[in-house]
Amino acid sequence: MKPEWRKYLAVRAPRYTSYPSALHFDQSVTREDYADRLSAVELYEPLSLYVHVPFCKRLCWYCGCNMRVENDYGRALRYVSALAKEIGLAGCRLNGAGRPRSVHFGGGTPNYLLVDEIAEILQSIELEFGLTDDSRLAIELDPRLIRDDDIGRLAALGFERMSLGVQDFDPSVQAAINRVQSFEMVESAVGEMRRAGLNDISFDLLYGLPKQTLASFADSLAKTTALAPDRVAVFGYAHLPSALPRQRLIDAESLPGPELRADLAELADEMLIDAGYRRIGFDHYAKPDNALAVADREGRLRRNFQGFTDDLATTTLGFGASAISAVSGLYAQNEKSLAGYYDHIAAGVLPIARGVELTPGELAVAAAIQDLLCKGAANIAPALAAVTPVEAGQICRNLETLEADGLIAWGGDVVHIEAAARPLSRCVAMALDPYEFNNKAKSEAPLARAV
Amino acid sequence: MAEKICAAPARPKSCDLCEVRERSICADLSPREFGHVEKTMARRHVAQGKAIMAEGEPNDSLYVVTGGSFRLSKLLEDGRRQVTGFLFPGDFAGVRATKANAYTAEALEESLVCFFPHKFLDDIADDAPGVKDRLIARGQTEYHKAQDHIVLLGKKSAEERVISFIYLVDKSIGEDAGSGKRRVPLPMPRQDIADYLGLRLETLSRTLTALKREGRLLDLTRHEVVIAARAEDF
Repeated sequence: MKPEWRKYLAVRAPRYTSYPSALHFDQSVTREDYADRLSAVELYEPLSLYVHVPFCKRLCWYCGCNMRVENDYGRALRYVSALAKEIGLAGCRLNGAGRPRSVHFGGGTPNYLLVDEIAEILQSIELEFGLTDDSRLAIELDPRLIRDDDIGRLAALGFERMSLGVQDFDPSVQAAINRVQSFEMVESAVGEMRRAGLNDISFDLLYGLPKQTLASFADSLAKTTALAPDRVAVFGYAHLPSALPRQRLIDAESLPGPELRADLAELADEMLIDAGYRRIGFDHYAKPDNALAVADREGRLRRNFQGFTDDLATTTLGFGASAISAVSGLYAQNEKSLAGYYDHIAAGVLPIARGVELTPGELAVAAAIQDLLCKGAANIAPALAAVTPVEAGQICRNLETLEADGLIAWGGDVVHIEAAARPLSRCVAMALDPYEFNNKAKSEAPLARAV
Repeated sequence: MAEKICAAPARPKSCDLCEVRERSICADLSPREFGHVEKTMARRHVAQGKAIMAEGEPNDSLYVVTGGSFRLSKLLEDGRRQVTGFLFPGDFAGVRATKANAYTAEALEESLVCFFPHKFLDDIADDAPGVKDRLIARGQTEYHKAQDHIVLLGKKSAEERVISFIYLVDKSIGEDAGSGKRRVPLPMPRQDIADYLGLRLETLSRTLTALKREGRLLDLTRHEVVIAARAEDF
């Protein structure tokens, strides 16, 4: 990486899985607003569904998700029945409109639930929203919780994409994050998935974890490429112990510094590209024949709450505690706490706690950021025209700095991110983001480093 | 992608033999109007799998199905297909001339359509005011089909969705099978029914089997079900 780019490594930038980010949601959005948008969904409007399962068997110390360690399966059953009610509440509003093109189970740990419960949730979805045989079903799996027939049964239910939380294969790194899972365990899960006919297996890896070294991470990456998943996501670990108390369990002294973080990210990039993967956006990699790579080649790549995706649906309905929905310019987030979530469901109302309704300016900035992150280039004229003159001036000054540092180049109104600077895409996106530069002072919001 | 048919239209000598005319589609027209309509229309055989209308392509004719059946579908942006309805004898398609059809209509079997160029229908409007409206007044159009679909999709149990679909088909092409029974042909593949109803094939099969077991379907074969006649059939 160019020396003049090093300063961007320490910049803390939003992940931009939405714009504005969930940090800027507030109570101005009500469940009535969300219900109205649901009622306006069109007959065949493609829907992307997300189901959040907030339970885990053990606490991973790095985790930034909305989750809780749960040892009483009865509580999970209560959650599944609440989910069915929530799905019914949304279904009443849609009244037959909208068609799910994909359903993603995330967490927490979706396979904390037994396959019977997962099948029950799917059935609720099928009866409320309709599912077809070409609806794409995806699930995140903790390899430590995969039981004997799980993979085959999930495949029989129609799950065609399975994502394994691998993080790192090194035993000392695993011990330092409290997530110990052997290579053999992951290898056996992948084997079962291949035997079940899956050709969309995904690994999540994390760099910037405690005790990671270039040598240990190279070994983890070699093990990864040996198992040949179809996609690999390489995320930077965000150490924000003040916002996420569980991260205090991680020994800060053993965390890699900014330089090593950058080297680890570069190492992952080199090794995965060498192994034949295509770089997707700034943190995903996919085999050239994988749907994500095809979407990227054809300019159809998008970014949603799950990261980069080939899912074309712009309407996302989230179910479960803390899940976020996006319907025609409105973001709505469910109650984060289980108690709050259950209260709403028991009262028979949509469990919306907060959200944001995008202004025309925010919609234009969101579109430009989406293009920057997914395509590496964006026409920013519509965004400049839609924000206030003061904000437009600041955006131009931000971009001048980025241009002077060589991260971007101009082509008319189009900002191009230099190929080598794609890992810093979020810094470029941030230049367009009035939430960031307007609120610099009060923005002590916990953000992850850009790399 | 459906292949568009391009056969030379055969002009019928007379509509007297038309099967759907008995179902009153053209029955509201005066003999004079009927003479006009007869002159402007043509009849066409459509082979199984061929399209009378293709999504995105222009259409300048009003079609009425006089035999067989058609599947209506839309292609989604990612190449996946959405089945949006079925046309049976007496149903209309292409109610308005358009530069780009919103859907494709493909024959599910050997089928027969009559078609009326919108231009001719407009030309005779002076002599036969409102002829187009009256022509389609008794039949079902694509707009009715969309209404049917949303009603079906709004049903929250697989049984209700499937049985309502069968009743809907019965209304169009069901036949009296004697002894208080109705024979309902299902000319479309199961996968089309499943896609249309927003069910997965396995759920549809399971539901059909359950309906048979519960006696709500008296018989179930690949392309036909037998149900008890309902009060509204009499």
